[in-house]
Amino acid sequence: MSDKKGLFKNIRVIIFTLILLGSIVAIHPGYTPGEGITTNLNFGLDLEGGSWLQIKLEGALAQVDADDGELVSEMVEPVIGAPIEVTSDNLNMGGSDSAGKSITFTTSAPVSAPQIESLELGTVSVDKLSDAQTQVTISDTSKETMIRAYLSKSLDAEIVPFSTEDGTVYEIRTTVSEQELEALMEKAGGSIVKEEDGTSTYKEGVSSETRDLTRDILNDKLNSLGLKDIPVRTVGEDYILIDFAGIDLATAKEIAEKPGKFEIRIQTTGNETQHVLYGDSIAGVGIPSYHDGQWHTPFTLKEEGARTLQKVALETGAIDNPEEHYLNMYLDDVQIYGAPLSPEAADRLRETPIYSWEASTGTDEAAKAEAEALQIHLRAGALPVNVVLVGSGHVDAGLGAQFKTAAVITGLISLIAVAAVVYFRYKRPEILVPMVGTSISEVIMILGVASIIGWQLDLASIAGIIAAIGTGIDHLIIITDEVLYEGKLPPTKVFASRIGKAFTIILGAASTVIIAMSPLVVMGFGSLKGFAITTIIGVLIGVIIARPVYGVMIKELLHVDESGNGGIIE
Amino acid sequence: MATGLTEFLDNFVKSHDNRQLLAFPLAILAVSLAILLVSFVSSGSPVNLGMEFQGGTQISVETADSPAMLEETYSSYPITDARQTGSRIIMQFGVMDNEQQRELEKDVTGRYSNVEIRQVGPIYGHDLQVQAIQAMIISFIGMAIVVFLLFRTLIPSFAVILSAFSDIMIAAAFMKVAGIELSLGTLAALLMLIGYSVDSDILLTNRVIKRRGTIEEKISRAMHTGITMTTTTLAALVVMYIVSTFSYLVIPSFTQITLLSQISIVLIAGLIADMMNTWLLNTGILRWYVLKPEFRGRYNR
Repeated sequence: MSDKKGLFKNIRVIIFTLILLGSIVAIHPGYTPGEGITTNLNFGLDLEGGSWLQIKLEGALAQVDADDGELVSEMVEPVIGAPIEVTSDNLNMGGSDSAGKSITFTTSAPVSAPQIESLELGTVSVDKLSDAQTQVTISDTSKETMIRAYLSKSLDAEIVPFSTEDGTVYEIRTTVSEQELEALMEKAGGSIVKEEDGTSTYKEGVSSETRDLTRDILNDKLNSLGLKDIPVRTVGEDYILIDFAGIDLATAKEIAEKPGKFEIRIQTTGNETQHVLYGDSIAGVGIPSYHDGQWHTPFTLKEEGARTLQKVALETGAIDNPEEHYLNMYLDDVQIYGAPLSPEAADRLRETPIYSWEASTGTDEAAKAEAEALQIHLRAGALPVNVVLVGSGHVDAGLGAQFKTAAVITGLISLIAVAAVVYFRYKRPEILVPMVGTSISEVIMILGVASIIGWQLDLASIAGIIAAIGTGIDHLIIITDEVLYEGKLPPTKVFASRIGKAFTIILGAASTVIIAMSPLVVMGFGSLKGFAITTIIGVLIGVIIARPVYGVMIKELLHVDESGNGGIIE
Repeated sequence: MATGLTEFLDNFVKSHDNRQLLAFPLAILAVSLAILLVSFVSSGSPVNLGMEFQGGTQISVETADSPAMLEETYSSYPITDARQTGSRIIMQFGVMDNEQQRELEKDVTGRYSNVEIRQVGPIYGHDLQVQAIQAMIISFIGMAIVVFLLFRTLIPSFAVILSAFSDIMIAAAFMKVAGIELSLGTLAALLMLIGYSVDSDILLTNRVIKRRGTIEEKISRAMHTGITMTTTTLAALVVMYIVSTFSYLVIPSFTQITLLSQISIVLIAGLIADMMNTWLLNTGILRWYVLKPEFRGRYNR
């Protein structure tokens, strides 16, 4: 192991060399006349030029409880204008589904079924018991349906209940404070449910599904505008970050805010179609579900939308002959869905407008995917939750290029400064060369990893690389001083234990850096996340791959030197 | 430079008793804590919060106009500050509504070249503040746990942790005094300091507790290595600071990189504090601990 050939038989050296070469291949540096230096590296917007928008999703999640009777009273009494009395109620029967559940009340006022049906609580039946008393039974309902309808009406927002291990959580897709929600539930004889430890289940924000749905809708929308390369990322729990490479901030905002054009048209004669409504007539879109042997995407229409659809269906004759009059949906003038009215729906439309619709897509997996795509398309322009712009940025391309050059030059000059200090201290080129060489190869490996995982290098990641190299040099100095404890190279046996001792210190120091940086990786911070990840990658590469090889190298070089075979000391 | 400094510190440590070693760094720590406390009481925050943590807009443009002229031009917007850094002017604006914000962005991008805009809403700014505090605390606790696991003895671990704590407090107080705002960059620097500052403390403690030799020799050897480490890092940082801050004076096509400039100056302050804390504070506590009579010279032979 004492000759140079032996050096290349060392497994660590082989791995190191392979990874180094692999990194260079991954970075793929090249020179194209006219374009200058080219690489496979991805640069962040602050180095490349462009703009970004960061948006927050507004909403709240909470488990709530209420008294069935008071819930019904709160909703029904304003509609019929008279007090009611609940006579039977089995909503609290086990299970959260609506099968076999009903609530019955009596009132002195005259009641019509459509009045109550408009509340969308369940199937309604009205019996006139006497002149002064009417009995109403709402069946196929559940507590969940009641609470959902109540909150939806009071807050004028979409409410999505979903079940978790601890019970039903209601996602309220609008801003509502804990106090407001508590007050609302109090009116219905209930409250926000407390956790076992007494903390409230109220939480600002939206579920991760809703966040991802919002991201997908944005993605869909931006891609439909022909902007393929706009990455939409979720950051932390409630934030979404959109990067617009090469687009200025004003344009970016216009693109993001411009809603997609959604339209429903109806077939008139042959291939002719007639406009029915636009996306602004859609009140809400539900989650696709499988029932009656088909996949369905539910959506609800607003008052005027539902009336227009009824009117057009009557005028075109779609009610009498649905098969000849398909309802087609378009997004930005591209047809995305088409189906006839169902016979039941056609029958009902004769009497009354329909608010809640379902678009069925079929039975198989492809139909499921189509239903999900339709859910996104139906929302085009209408995101499931309100969003607020919480941050934005813009860097001109020219400035980004300046940053890039300046950062590279700063790095190089810093490295020269480090080399100067090291030389001044040891005055031995056979220490200086491997030390600087190890540092440079650590940089190359970090960049190699970055280009393999497609990491975007921004100014913060460059700071991370500098941090990793800074600790790297520190560790190389520890190894050097440990090895040369007596001022010269010790025998091989002692050498091994010295290296071991040096690594005890190095591993300790490296683990503190990694631990100190890890909160940033987990937390939502935009640019600091990149900083922390590059630092950690850098430290790991240094400790696992590069620094052990430095130990081997320095032994060989100093050995050669001390046996008088070369090495020149001034 | 490194050698001279090492000799000076080595002699200083040898010729003063533990109490004397502790006095100076503890006094500086006390002053720093006082600065941060006064700031906290008077402004609600120990350091000046930058735009990212408060909400607002920062626009930097390349221009030959004077800051006063820009302040005049944009006086209809909530402009709070305009200052020159080299060939660029950085303007700070308060929180605006969407309409006004967009109008301003259009105007600036139309009028100037090499524009950089960063805008943070007050809600996000507040979220960031909370996250920043959490990150600092979790990082610090994480570091303390690792240090404790490494040495498994209370007082030496405590000395390392106190020294790191002091580094961060002194760097933060320096930021307050020098008027450097807490930005994402300077927050990164403070977190980096947690990693950097324990390097030399771990080296010192490891050598003193886990090696044979006289305590004096072990300290001065550790110091030899430690000071080399810190000075190389400092050299790199000083260069980084100078290049990222002043290079445009020499090469006009260069631009200031505020992020790197801020990170480096805070780290420089922190590392200078670290030299003092490692070789006076930490050394003082450690030397007192290992020479306690109950160890009967276990660590000193």
